[in-house]
Amino acid sequence: MVPFSHSLLVAALLFGMGLFCLLTRRNLIMMLLGIEVMLNAGALAFVAASLHWQQMDGQAMVLFILTVAATEVSVGLALIVALYRRTGSVDPDPPADRQLAAQAGEGGV
Amino acid sequence: MMSSPPIEVVLLLAVALGLPLTAFGVIMTLTRSQPRVSAIISLGAIAVAFGASLSLLIAHWGMPTPLVYEITWLVAGELPIPLGVLLDPTSLLMLTVVAAISLLVQIYSLGYMAGDPGFGRYYGCMSLFAWAMLTLTVSSSLIQLYIFWELVGLASYLLIGFWFEKWTASEAGKKAFVMTRLGDTAFLLGLILLWLNLGDLSIAGLNDPQVADRLSPGQLTLAAVLIFGGIIGKSAQFPLLTWLPDAMEGPTPVSALLHSATMVAAGVYLFARLFGFFSLSPAVMTLCLAVGTLSMLLAASMALVSRDIKQVWAYSTISQLGYMLMGLGAGGFTAGVFHLTTHAGFKALLFLCAGVLIHHFDTNDIFRMSQRGSRRQRLTLVCLVIGAAALSGLPPLSGFFSKEMILAHLAVHAHPFWLAAGLLGSFLTAYYTFRLIFVLLRPAAETPSDDAEGHHHSEPFGELCMAAVLVTLAGLTVVLGFGQGALTHFLSAAAGAPPPAPAHHLGWLPVVVLTLTGAAIVAAWWEFARQKRSETGWVDRFPTLATLFARRWYLDDLYRWLLDRVVYGGFSRAFTWNDQRVIDGGLDGLGQTVIDWGAISARLNRSQIQFRLMVLFAVVAVLVLYLAFA
Amino acid sequence: MQVHATSFPFLTSLLLCCGLGLAIILLLPAHREREIKLVSAVFSGLTLVISLYLYLAYDRDLGGQQFAESWEWVPALGIRFANAADGFSLPMLLLTGIVFFTAVLTAWELNYRVKEFFALTFLLVLGVFGLFMSLDLFFIFVWFDVSLFPMYLLIAIWGSTRKEYGAMKLTLYLLAGSALILPAILYLVVGAGLSSFSLITLMQEAVFSPGQQRLAFLLLYIGFGILAGVWPFHTWSPVGHVAAPTAVSMIHAGVLMKIGAFGILRVGIYLCPEGWSYWSPVMAFLATAGIVYGALVGLSQTDLKYVIGYSSVSHMGIVGLGLATLTVDGLSGAVYQMFAHGIMTALFFSSVGYIYDRTHTKAIADLGGLGRTLPRASSFFILAAMTGIGVPCLASFWGELVVFLSAVRVFPIYGALVVLALVISALFMLRVVQKTCYGPPLERYAGLDDMGNGAMVPRLILAAVIIGFGLFPGALFDMINSAAIPFIEGVLG
Repeated sequence: MVPFSHSLLVAALLFGMGLFCLLTRRNLIMMLLGIEVMLNAGALAFVAASLHWQQMDGQAMVLFILTVAATEVSVGLALIVALYRRTGSVDPDPPADRQLAAQAGEGGV
Repeated sequence: MMSSPPIEVVLLLAVALGLPLTAFGVIMTLTRSQPRVSAIISLGAIAVAFGASLSLLIAHWGMPTPLVYEITWLVAGELPIPLGVLLDPTSLLMLTVVAAISLLVQIYSLGYMAGDPGFGRYYGCMSLFAWAMLTLTVSSSLIQLYIFWELVGLASYLLIGFWFEKWTASEAGKKAFVMTRLGDTAFLLGLILLWLNLGDLSIAGLNDPQVADRLSPGQLTLAAVLIFGGIIGKSAQFPLLTWLPDAMEGPTPVSALLHSATMVAAGVYLFARLFGFFSLSPAVMTLCLAVGTLSMLLAASMALVSRDIKQVWAYSTISQLGYMLMGLGAGGFTAGVFHLTTHAGFKALLFLCAGVLIHHFDTNDIFRMSQRGSRRQRLTLVCLVIGAAALSGLPPLSGFFSKEMILAHLAVHAHPFWLAAGLLGSFLTAYYTFRLIFVLLRPAAETPSDDAEGHHHSEPFGELCMAAVLVTLAGLTVVLGFGQGALTHFLSAAAGAPPPAPAHHLGWLPVVVLTLTGAAIVAAWWEFARQKRSETGWVDRFPTLATLFARRWYLDDLYRWLLDRVVYGGFSRAFTWNDQRVIDGGLDGLGQTVIDWGAISARLNRSQIQFRLMVLFAVVAVLVLYLAFA
Repeated sequence: MQVHATSFPFLTSLLLCCGLGLAIILLLPAHREREIKLVSAVFSGLTLVISLYLYLAYDRDLGGQQFAESWEWVPALGIRFANAADGFSLPMLLLTGIVFFTAVLTAWELNYRVKEFFALTFLLVLGVFGLFMSLDLFFIFVWFDVSLFPMYLLIAIWGSTRKEYGAMKLTLYLLAGSALILPAILYLVVGAGLSSFSLITLMQEAVFSPGQQRLAFLLLYIGFGILAGVWPFHTWSPVGHVAAPTAVSMIHAGVLMKIGAFGILRVGIYLCPEGWSYWSPVMAFLATAGIVYGALVGLSQTDLKYVIGYSSVSHMGIVGLGLATLTVDGLSGAVYQMFAHGIMTALFFSSVGYIYDRTHTKAIADLGGLGRTLPRASSFFILAAMTGIGVPCLASFWGELVVFLSAVRVFPIYGALVVLALVISALFMLRVVQKTCYGPPLERYAGLDDMGNGAMVPRLILAAVIIGFGLFPGALFDMINSAAIPFIEGVLG
């Protein structure tokens, strides 16, 4: 039996990796992937807690999260595809802000 | 007092006051574009009104007490504002004079205004003018008088600026309205002051000597001075006298009406109307005497140098109104009202004669007229000479009697200084009047063929109308003076009239006056009519003086300066600047500040979404750690 | 104050007329412009008929609030949908009916986004009618805001000169006012502790301390006063007038500004009489400043509509001065002046709008000689100017006279100043008349067509009202007195 703390640690690690992906990748699809990973980290923590306290609420919540994640991915991907068709880019920042950010980068910030 | 009036009086009044208003309404809304119908409506209304007022005058001749009929016009809050009539000798006399002059002027206008594109509108405004003035004369309360006083101002504004396409005409109308308005505000304030202190503005009540007990002397004087301010504006007295000479920009019949029986007469009429009230305040009576004298002399001096026939008559009007106020201010009620009546007749005559000449020669300049052969206008010149002689006070014309009465009153009841001023005035009057007459009588310098330039293509009917009116007025001027005794007797029953003073027969006065007048006429003849005439008046020998007179003692320049520098350039500009810079500038600055702060805070939310997410998570992490371990 | 119920909900049917008209306009397709205009004319005409009926049917001897109706709305908060009309509100309802109808007729020539224009106008007037008849503070606030927001769109879409700026300024200003009114209303309702928004209940049962009344009245005075063009919160008004299209200017200056003054009267003065008498010297000062200042600034304006805008500031100052005197005649004169000014300014904007549509300019310097080229339009313009000057036997004169009378009694210095300002107002009105209508006719305006008979109708209605109430002012004063006399007796003893 894996200790509860270990599974939580794995969940935390997964969450951190998802977060890192979300914060560092400059591609909307990858950011969406990061969010998915974070969601699954949360789901893993729920499963572990459900096992630890021997209650079914956690399991139910996981099913709920899965459903939400599925819809979220489909809507999100659809939006990204639409955005790509419109702007030809999957960059998260609007063009004006991209310029600003570039200027700020040049300024050494 | 509130007894129900006899039915025939109600009928006559309704006819006299209602018809001109109806005529105005009908003409302005329906028949403005049909000149003939409009003229018939207006003339019919004023003719019937004249008949009604004449029969009222006859019916009430020798009436023992003034009759007052009032209804409540409105009650505002707790203040009743009445609408009523006060019939007494003063108002009946004035009513008849106004109706008569209006009727004659309207008949005259048939010829004078024929073919004018605004013919219908002209008659509409004439009806409005007649209605306002007729109702003013019979007003039973001061507030009602004020209302119609303002309407008279409106009507004269519309008529002075009748040829509105001419810039000067609209300018003159505006000037007349604004300057008289300045006096009217004083009138309104005085009226409100009386209202607040007495609670009643009926003319009969104000003329009651008991008013002096219910007001403190200061209030009484203040109210009287303020109301007198209205008279100064309306009767074009010093210092508000410059609008009247400009007002001749209107059609000449309008000037005739304006100068004789309506607009400017309203001011003097108000003084006569409130004579009992004004007599309670000696200070105001002296003020009246002083203002009358000053205006009389100033205006006479201006008339000495003017070459414009209408302007000469305009100055003479101011001067004669000054005479009336002198008479009234010295306590001569009958003298003042009598001069008002006779003046209405001969001044209308003078203006209408001037109208014929202007119509014929197409110029206002008397020297040009004489060059173009004014001498050949026999009938007009005869009438003009009659009017001029009346103005100068030559017997046996009406002006002689009334002016004589005023001077006699001054001689008996006032300081000799005022009498001296009055005599000087009558010298000047005779001089400038006959200067004009002699210039017009000179033989023509040009050949008669030049006449074709003038636009005297009027139809014979129009010429006839004009001639008939002139002859009628000339006849009145000759006859009216002999009614002095009857009129004096009649007026003594007026509300506010003092008890008839014992008649003074100053045998020396007519002699002195006539000598002075004769000297003035001889002087005018010497300079302008004899064979080796010099063609220059004595005033012209002093260029500074002549300029001073011609520029109207620089009064207009003073007003122009005040208006441009103080009102437009001072307050108006400062307030506009305040509006645009301080108030709006402050607001726009406030808005801009908000926008700027928004822009600054917006910078925080700009740039990469991921950076913001990182901050978000960092904050949450720190919070969690803090909550977990604190 | 007595409240008399009615068997038939006339007041609600007045609101329903606006609502129904609005609904029908929304349902009609946008390209059926003629039908939309007809529907607008019919329903606005209906409101005029109903308001005229109410005006005539009101029992002046009985007095009090009549035609009252009341329904529960939110019982938990004590909010009721309660309407009634008295001698103060009936002239305003009649004014709204007249101006609404004539404004719709004036907008007959409009051909840009007709459907939206009339729909928004109906919404605007719905709020105005509601405010004038409501006896519930909650609804007064709601109607106030309902009448504000269509203004923004009406000016921003159909306006002219600097329309975005004007619309934005107006909206922000008035919303600032509304932001002062709401706290004041809540403060009063909570302070009374009766859990009722009813004006009548609060008036009769609530006891406010003088301190409360002063604070609440100040908030209400400024909040509503902004809409009434009280100096120095007036600068939105000329800008808004200039930017707004003709019909909206008419409603705006004719009716909307009256909402402000009416709100001060109905909410501020009714509920906080102590605050009223405490602040009355300040009110008198601001009103006098507005009268003199408005007239002087109007003198140096170069845009025709700006001149009228500043004349509105000046004339609304007279209303404010009347309200400040704490007297029956001051109050009557103020309400009379509200009515008269509404009609006068509607006629003003209506004729100026006509001139603008033909000449395409509002710059005074570019106009001239219109008396010859557009005689009918000029006649109406001159009539409105004469009313503005305060010529007797035209409606405005009586309001001014009565207000001056009470003002000289209560505030002699201000009263004298204001009477002197009459000269300035005469000067600036005549200046504008002279520069636009008089002088030689200009070449470039030679071919303009003057008003046809159709365009004459709304202007004739307004002119007839001006002259009618000028000759028979008693018809209106009797009505106002029936409310003013008992009110002042009840409040000031």
